[in-house]
Amino acid sequence: MSPSSAAVFGLLAMAALSLAAGLFARRFAHTTSDFMVAARAVSPRINAAAISGEYLSAASFLGIAGLVMQYGYDVLWYPVGYAAGYLLLLLFIAGPLRRFGAYTIPDFAEGRFDSPRFRRLAVGLVLVIGFFYALPQVEAAGITVETASGLPYWVGVVVVSGVVIANVTAGGMRGITLVQSLQFAVKVFAISLPAFLLLLHFGGPATPFGSAGLARLPQKTTYQVTAGELWQLPAATELRVSQPTTVTWQRGGLVRAPGAVSAEVAAPPSRPQARIRGRRLAISGRALLPKGTVIWQGAAAVTLAAGTAAPYASSTPVSTNTAWMGPFGPLAGGSGHSLLFTYSLIMAILLGTIGLPHILVRFYTNPDARASRRTALVVLVMLGAFYIWPPVYGALGRALDPSLYGSNLTDSVVLVLPSLLGGWLGQLLLAVVSAGAFAAFTSTLSGLLVSLAGALGHDVYGRWLRPEAGPVARRRAFQLAALLSGVVAAGLGLMVGQFNISVLVGWAFAIAASSFFPLLVLGIWWPRLTTAGAALGVALGGSLATLAIVTTMVATVAPSLELFLARESALAVLLSQPAIVTVPVAFLAMVGVSWLRPGPPAGVAAKMVQLHAPELLGLRRDYIPE
Amino acid sequence: MAQLPGSDPSPRLLEFEEQTEVGGLYLQALMRRQLRLSLTLALTFVAFLGVQPLLSTFWPPWTAIKLAGIPLPWLVLGVGSYPLLIWLGSLYVSRAEEVDEEFTDLLR
Repeated sequence: MSPSSAAVFGLLAMAALSLAAGLFARRFAHTTSDFMVAARAVSPRINAAAISGEYLSAASFLGIAGLVMQYGYDVLWYPVGYAAGYLLLLLFIAGPLRRFGAYTIPDFAEGRFDSPRFRRLAVGLVLVIGFFYALPQVEAAGITVETASGLPYWVGVVVVSGVVIANVTAGGMRGITLVQSLQFAVKVFAISLPAFLLLLHFGGPATPFGSAGLARLPQKTTYQVTAGELWQLPAATELRVSQPTTVTWQRGGLVRAPGAVSAEVAAPPSRPQARIRGRRLAISGRALLPKGTVIWQGAAAVTLAAGTAAPYASSTPVSTNTAWMGPFGPLAGGSGHSLLFTYSLIMAILLGTIGLPHILVRFYTNPDARASRRTALVVLVMLGAFYIWPPVYGALGRALDPSLYGSNLTDSVVLVLPSLLGGWLGQLLLAVVSAGAFAAFTSTLSGLLVSLAGALGHDVYGRWLRPEAGPVARRRAFQLAALLSGVVAAGLGLMVGQFNISVLVGWAFAIAASSFFPLLVLGIWWPRLTTAGAALGVALGGSLATLAIVTTMVATVAPSLELFLARESALAVLLSQPAIVTVPVAFLAMVGVSWLRPGPPAGVAAKMVQLHAPELLGLRRDYIPE
Repeated sequence: MAQLPGSDPSPRLLEFEEQTEVGGLYLQALMRRQLRLSLTLALTFVAFLGVQPLLSTFWPPWTAIKLAGIPLPWLVLGVGSYPLLIWLGSLYVSRAEEVDEEFTDLLR
């Protein structure tokens, strides 16, 4: 994508707006309670907009559309699963957890099980999940600014982290609640309006579903290729090069490990270049390349005529329209175990949402359980209003600009399509979606910073290092922790650069689903759950999920392991999507240990009363005093 | 309304708060009702999701059905899920509040 002043304008406008709203909200943030839980004085509607704003991350705003464009139908499980995770949260967690009055998951762990050691285990997990979730946001900021404006990668990282750190340290939860609710409004507007206009202009939603064959370029397209770039040619391809160059060509496609997709964003296969043992062909002027895989040996401008089958970069599997639009396409079907893959994927997304620490913290900003339930319901409506749109971009992208497959830019399809409308309207919409993307990663990052700062300032400092600290010292600790976490996240974001870290997001989801989810559900609904059972389940589920995903990551750099997994495809599916095994294991461990060695923590009856007694009875108290 | 400050709490409320044997039974009854409500609604949506891959596997013709040019599976999953989610959610909120209110009336 070429640098665009409209995109830069959109990004800057959103940055300024976020800072201004943060400064405005700062006037209301004074006490520790303001900082950590916004003094529990947020109305359900504003709170719901803030939760939705925080929830709709870069992966939701940009990632889903890109994945739909690459993989088609199977990706629809992601947006639906993200929204449905919220239904489960509403049904099982929202009310009781708010009544319990604990601020963080570690608070819950200690409060329910009377074990400071358990708290430390939970703090550790919160920090791990939080940072793995924060990194992709920072990285997405850098990449989006880079592709949309042409500015260097670090500019996006620094600007976004700077805005977020300023808002969180200045206003805490109280401050970002207003900013995030504003950012939610921007995101919904930015995703729905261009999609709607695109549908009107390009002849309706049926466009990409019309033909059965390959994705073909709708107009003459010129690619700038560099040495070492790989193209998969799904058919014999006629092209013209700007200057003489050579390619290596081989018959057939790439070998691909099954299930090589993380929970949020596709991970490109490791080193496909190493596998090419093909013929060298010299090209000048016009050339007809046979179906197969080529690697460009030199830089050139390559032009393909309209109607040519679009070439694919290495990270995207080639698919016909029929395979793409049907179930078990390249994503699930590629694994050879479509049903197993699909069910495990659904499970990880659905249950992982419940265990994400930055989502749960939000429920304490409600005044009571009734408001907490109503908030979660409004969130469901808001998420639904958002999540129907990203797949529209993915589907339209396949029909209107399949050149993104070859240039490996499917992830920016949301930013690319609006300019196809042309003229001032296209530029205006480009500014709007850029602002929406900016809102996406800043609001999620803000929420993560509050939850990381909460874990460090509230749990580590306030409960562990200096339990006697007063409110002012606690607020300072929160602010310092927010600053530190933000700087660390930005620093890591700068270091990882363009390295694909989306695997870490999948890790975060899988760990959350197999540790915090069973802990919360059983801890709230099963009085006989013992401390030992809960701790063992969390440790076992969390470490099994970690082990599975680390094995998948190691396989991308260890060819022998990768070959082994390519043969044992069912095992490979389970390692890349471990939830279907690790979640039941964690549940069984918790239930089994609690049965074998009964003895729930003392006072569990009073805790159950606190979790489940309606506020109307007038029996409650909170962990963080007003 | 809730227990007014100054007035004597009812004996049932005291039993509940102190979690005597009878009080424990009250709580168990409340939790059972809430959990049954939550499980019913959750399983409804899980069944809605879970049946779709089975349909695609064992009755492939359904993937070929199109509505206004769009494949039916896309519409059912990508659009139809959200109204169902919202409906189940609002059903839950009103029922759960009813259960809470009935329970409060019982103890008062």
